[in-house]
Amino acid sequence: MMYNNEHFEPVITPNVTKPGCETLDFYIQNEDGYKALEKALKMKPNEVVDEVKKSNLRGRGGAGFPTGMKWSFMPPNPVDANGNVKPKYLVCNADEGEPGTFKDRLIFTKTPHRMIEGMIIGGHAIGSNKGFIYVRGEWHKEIRLMQKALDDAYAKGLLGKNILGSGFNFDLVIYKGAGAYLCGEETALLNSLEGKRGEPRLKPPFPAQVGAYGMPSCVNNVETFAAVPYIIQKGWEKYAKMGTERSGGTRMIGVSGHVNKPGVYELPMNLSINDIIEIAGGVKGGKLKAVIPGGASAPMLRADECHVLTDYDSLAKAGTMAGSGGLIVMNDTVSIPEATYTLLKFYEHESCGQCSQCREGSHWLARMFKRILDGGGTQDDLDYIAKICGNMAGQTICAFADAVTGPALSSVRKFRSEFDEMILKGGLHGLGRQESVSHEMGGAHV
Amino acid sequence: MKWVVLMSNTITIPAEDLNYTSGKMPVHSDPNPEAKPLPKVTIDGKAYEFKPGDTIMQVAERYKLHEDIPRYCYHPGMPIAGTCRMCTVEVEKAPKLMTSCSTPAGDGMVVHTRSEKVLKSRNGVMDFLLTNHPLDCPVCDKAGECELQDYTFEYGPQESNFKEEKRVYESATTKKLSDKITLNMNRCVHCERCVRFTDDVTKTNDLVMVNRGWHKELMVTDEKVGLVNDYQGCLTDFCPVGALTMNDFRFEKRVWFLEKKPSVCDGCSKGCNIEVHHDKEVVQRYVPIFNEKVNNHWMCDEGRLSYHTYADANRIVSPLLPDTASGRLSSTNWETAANIVNARVKNASKILVVVGTDATNEEAMLIKGHFSARAEVKYHSGFGENKALDHLLRQSDKTPNTKGVAAIGLSAMQASDVTGKDLVVVIRQGRAQMPKVEGQDVILVGVYSREEIDALKASNVRIQAVLPSLATIEKEGSFTNCDGITQSFNAAVVHRGKALALPKILAALVGEKH
Repeated sequence: MMYNNEHFEPVITPNVTKPGCETLDFYIQNEDGYKALEKALKMKPNEVVDEVKKSNLRGRGGAGFPTGMKWSFMPPNPVDANGNVKPKYLVCNADEGEPGTFKDRLIFTKTPHRMIEGMIIGGHAIGSNKGFIYVRGEWHKEIRLMQKALDDAYAKGLLGKNILGSGFNFDLVIYKGAGAYLCGEETALLNSLEGKRGEPRLKPPFPAQVGAYGMPSCVNNVETFAAVPYIIQKGWEKYAKMGTERSGGTRMIGVSGHVNKPGVYELPMNLSINDIIEIAGGVKGGKLKAVIPGGASAPMLRADECHVLTDYDSLAKAGTMAGSGGLIVMNDTVSIPEATYTLLKFYEHESCGQCSQCREGSHWLARMFKRILDGGGTQDDLDYIAKICGNMAGQTICAFADAVTGPALSSVRKFRSEFDEMILKGGLHGLGRQESVSHEMGGAHV
Repeated sequence: MKWVVLMSNTITIPAEDLNYTSGKMPVHSDPNPEAKPLPKVTIDGKAYEFKPGDTIMQVAERYKLHEDIPRYCYHPGMPIAGTCRMCTVEVEKAPKLMTSCSTPAGDGMVVHTRSEKVLKSRNGVMDFLLTNHPLDCPVCDKAGECELQDYTFEYGPQESNFKEEKRVYESATTKKLSDKITLNMNRCVHCERCVRFTDDVTKTNDLVMVNRGWHKELMVTDEKVGLVNDYQGCLTDFCPVGALTMNDFRFEKRVWFLEKKPSVCDGCSKGCNIEVHHDKEVVQRYVPIFNEKVNNHWMCDEGRLSYHTYADANRIVSPLLPDTASGRLSSTNWETAANIVNARVKNASKILVVVGTDATNEEAMLIKGHFSARAEVKYHSGFGENKALDHLLRQSDKTPNTKGVAAIGLSAMQASDVTGKDLVVVIRQGRAQMPKVEGQDVILVGVYSREEIDALKASNVRIQAVLPSLATIEKEGSFTNCDGITQSFNAAVVHRGKALALPKILAALVGEKH
């Protein structure tokens, strides 16, 4: 195999380049579509959960929590205080907003039925009869395509009452977000789904106890659901073997930035960052300078650190994270302070403003970086950035504050000399750079 | 009485310490003493029992350790938000600092409220909160009772490295949210107590936060409707900073000049527990104090602003007698007035005494004792049967002691009671309505305004004398509220006019040595 992994085969994207791959007919004829569902409906729910547990599938949204374990947290027969049975909800998190991440969009546009099938199997596994697909507000085209796919599935009897004669009912509804990055955080998503402000909730209670509309709920990423049909159909062993010891299967990596062939690649996890850059056609327009390996929130890696493997544990060991699989490549024409400022501006704009540290800190960091770019920085500022980040990380309700400190802290630590130069020479102007290069970042082509 | 200076957000001294509440039950008594032993949590090296379900903060409050745990978003009367991150404590074996407001206490849990890690975190929060705060303490009404000041003093950094431009809400620097409340958004620390108050306490939902992140802004939900709830004053009580200020108190007095005395609000039959804030016996404001059985942490705006009637320029504060020639009422001294009214009462054969339901229990007893032998004694409120006006505190009976006055055996005054009387003595303290006494000879005792006297004269009442007495906050006594709870109070301020305490006036009326 080309990736030095004898077990590897594409789980989600074997046919995404073929015309008509997004249709139900194509999925059923060429990809054994909904065969896994048929099989799953004949299994007991806890057998399905076990299968997923054994496959080592980990959540693909960023945190990498084992999916089977999450499903097993759902209470089997929840009742309210009056003894009435509570409904359970399955929620698909399609609020893909992490800068540099665009893998879920590929699934939405090219193979939506794989995700729908995964959701129905998930509904069967956790005993839910209602699912929500929470989609980010900017995805107009994607929502249309997904709605078409849902309509087709309903017409075929794959959704709705008595699916495939099994007696299992499952409904799926698309809910469009209003364009907030933070609504990708699962409890903020649930608030937004309920029509409230998209602010993360205090945990506990966790969504498995009190989720959407106060009912037990399970939130999973698009890619996670899309991997489920394969696991059920081909068996957990095949899926688990593809991955590492603690994390099964393949990962979708969105490669963007200075590479010759940016795009989404489905890859095994035993590849290093350098391998992936090579697969994506090599670095464009210069030498490799830095890589953000898991979406904007992941701390940066210097070029000399890019030999690390891209599985969850190796990246965590390297002080960064696998995150949502958005690999941003920067060549040596990039000014790291400027690139970091671009990211911080994003975070400043997207902080929900609940927690003191995150609301004020993300603003402060962005303004501070701006001042450094404008030539007003001092060495003290660089020391203070570390202090601000130290006061933010791990202190808030959700992980957003940690996400802000990812780029801010890693850029200053790993590219200190660039900051020093910028401060000494009086900012961008002093360095003879007038225009922001930030627009070149994150260009996504599918 | 030992008195503790209370900040708006802290749980106040429990009911058993308040000598002016009738029930002496502890606030959190265990209804079932035979139940199994309670779990224990160790806070700063000492073990405390707690009720399962309590958060660390609640345990700390129950044992009055709450002053070790600073907080902005937490308020004992509201749902938990857990957003300000000021109340974090170190829990042994927990990987991160935990917010004490939201973390349930566990059996055997070991909590440190002032460890190095905790103090560093609090220092960090203060550093962040102060970045965009205008630091305009010299012109801020909250200065002196501001939690941002207090916590900065206790936990904050000595200096700030914030060199950027501060956030300014151009349109909300001095924004009148209603005729009672002014918002200065620049001072806001985004604790959102106000939003949760209108959502969960008043249930009027009239405040919202719009926008997100660092330009999150407090707004009235519907500009056309405005801020309409009846408890707006509470917003300024629990606002930890000077973002929400009460127009009535704005720029009136620096808070460190205020002397604070507990009393009971006489604005309606609820009897909310209040603190009278005065400077040199001039009342500046009322502030509610916590009483779980009566008003919780709140009080309504009507009651809060009711002190104005006692400081009104039109209040009669010296005895008045009618001029023999013109019939005009003019001010006199107590000796003259006492002689005249004493003779008038002696000469009358059929007297009706009307007691307003704003008299204290003690006063009502005294009136009954003085007059029941020689006169008919009735009570009058003028508000009819009491009804609750909302789910919180407001009552339709705007007098404080209807239950108490009725309980001593008096009956309500009927319209027919005045017929055939040759003298009516009205004893009423400014809260009960005026009884209908058209065409009668009347002696007025109590708290009256010039308008009320003019209105009586216009309805052909022959006023024989006006004898001013002390208002609620100027005297001691007790009221029985609409729920039957009797609360006693001491004088909060010293009366600055010539009004006398009611017992002295009664002695003058019926000619007994006092």
